Amino acid sequence: MLQIKNLHASIDGKEILKGLTLDIPDGQVHAIMGPNGSGKSTLSYVIAGREGYEVTGGQILLDGQDIMEMAPEERAAAGLFLAFQYPVEIPGVAMTMFLKTAINSIRKQRGEGEIDALDFLKLLKKKQAELGMSDEMMKRAVNVGFSGGEKKRNEVLQMAMLEPRMAVLDETDSGLDIDALKVVADGVNRLRNEKRSFLVITHYQRLLDYIKPDVVHVMAAGKIVKTGGPELAAELEKTGYAGYAA
Amino acid sequence: MTTATVTKFPEKSPYQPDTAEGILRAYDAFVADIDDQPQWLVDLRKSSLKEFKRRGIPTPRIEGWKFTNLLPLVKGYGDKVGQIKVSHDKVDGVIIAPLMEMLDQDWVKAALSEDMPPLQHNTENTLWHLGNIYLRDGIVIDVPANKEIKKPLELLTSAADGAFFTDRMVIRVQKNARLTIVEDHWSKGTFWKNRLTHIVLEPGAKLTHIRMQDDSDKAVYTQTTNVHVGRDAVYDAVAFCTGAALSRNQVRVTLDDTGAQCHLNGANLLRGEQLGDTTILVEHRAPHCQSNQNIRTVLDGRAHGVFQGKVHVHQPAQKTDGYQLSRALILSEGAEMDTKPELEIYADDVKCSHGATTGQLDQEPLFYMQSRGIDAKSAKALLIQAFIAEVFENIKDEGLKTSLERKVEAWLKQ
Repeated sequence: MLQIKNLHASIDGKEILKGLTLDIPDGQVHAIMGPNGSGKSTLSYVIAGREGYEVTGGQILLDGQDIMEMAPEERAAAGLFLAFQYPVEIPGVAMTMFLKTAINSIRKQRGEGEIDALDFLKLLKKKQAELGMSDEMMKRAVNVGFSGGEKKRNEVLQMAMLEPRMAVLDETDSGLDIDALKVVADGVNRLRNEKRSFLVITHYQRLLDYIKPDVVHVMAAGKIVKTGGPELAAELEKTGYAGYAA
Repeated sequence: MTTATVTKFPEKSPYQPDTAEGILRAYDAFVADIDDQPQWLVDLRKSSLKEFKRRGIPTPRIEGWKFTNLLPLVKGYGDKVGQIKVSHDKVDGVIIAPLMEMLDQDWVKAALSEDMPPLQHNTENTLWHLGNIYLRDGIVIDVPANKEIKKPLELLTSAADGAFFTDRMVIRVQKNARLTIVEDHWSKGTFWKNRLTHIVLEPGAKLTHIRMQDDSDKAVYTQTTNVHVGRDAVYDAVAFCTGAALSRNQVRVTLDDTGAQCHLNGANLLRGEQLGDTTILVEHRAPHCQSNQNIRTVLDGRAHGVFQGKVHVHQPAQKTDGYQLSRALILSEGAEMDTKPELEIYADDVKCSHGATTGQLDQEPLFYMQSRGIDAKSAKALLIQAFIAEVFENIKDEGLKTSLERKVEAWLKQ
């Protein structure tokens, strides 16, 4: 599904990713753990195509297709989704309108017609209910006046609505209490299937108690330095990142 | 011991009287054509003519015009004065009549005779005098007491190619009456339109005043509006401007009595070489009055936006609530925004705030939307629509609101 080969990327001339390689097959959940400053968020932004990062080497392939030259919206249409660590507030743009525009933009890029208004509302109601999000929240502007937990639930709602093939979750657990964490994790788990893959980026093991990964990678100083099974997360929780340089 | 040398420079006049000649070429023929006018109007014309000859066309040497250079665009006019056509439907309960037939009404005479504030205020009044000199065209709109007019009164103003035009709108909404006026401007061609609008709101009255100005990008549109708001009356305005090479919307609102309110909302969407100037003076003369100014400007290409807004709180106007905000969005390097927000307060128990911001579209929301599949152009359009939408919030009529939102969309698609 997602293959990253020897990826080098820098920002303002400073190299952050220093030859990162990763291969996530269909239907698998991979976790990346690592200390602060190891380049985890940079990796998520580079995958999503954020401006300001210079990729100096390597490749990112989605279903075998090189996505490096694609705009962020084209990557989304190709099936990529990034759940933001800090979801962005967009004053004046209502949630419902935003979601509908996003869905239709993706459909348009795929050469499909617009979603039926009723189908859209039905789908939205269902996903809202699963994540405990009220109709009132859907009338509000995107993330404006949302609590930290509501913002993270909103990321999962968007993911559920857009149905990506490859989702990257950047520190989705940060700022969540245990109840909110469960709601978010349940939301992600409902989306797991044999075709859809996830890359879960986190600092702590806590999230991985609820979203069980197939593979755990340790990232340090811009590279994957160790790969193992779920037991690796538990081990890190005990030993910390002391053995890994940032 | 030293002796101070005092050099006295001659006081330099900001006026350029020689620029008056061009636009006055049509004057003799114009007045010869008007018969049967009351003596007070003859006198008004003469005194304004004298004043205009002393001043000429305003130039950037005048403080209130320092950002807006009108002269180069209007100096070719003056050989003839065109006739403005204002068309409208009949609205039951509203008296609508040509200005020249209403000159015997005392309130019309009083409105026309009121002088506009002099130079030290933002709303420099030379264009007012110019309007007096060529006073002829115009309409009077009067709503009797307690009438609530539900249907918006739509007025289409047409100007023809190649001329200078000036006209009046004299509007009165009597006690506890309500009216919505929608002005539409979309004339083609090259012209200079100078409109003067007088508005009198009696106690408890409410006027919603929407102007959609999309005149040709070769035209000049100068608008001066003088509003008096009585006890507990409300003036609610939305000026939506996408047209003209140069437009200047100058508004003076006087809150004359307790509980009076004004909400001045404006959206200017400009591109190419367009200039759009919003110049406002709100005078708080009585206690417990409220004023809001909320102006949004979007500039693309080499467009130039100007906002000059002043809240003047007179000594008796305790418990004033005055708010003023100009926000501008610059979409290209060549665009320029000039702002001059001012407060002048002589009362000690007031709540006033003002601010002006100029910036570019935030990159964070753009990337966020793109990451959800929305292409960059649509994402920008959504952000700009959201930026503008706030100035339409007060509009109760959903149909009107939608048509304004559509105009924003249409502008973005161009």
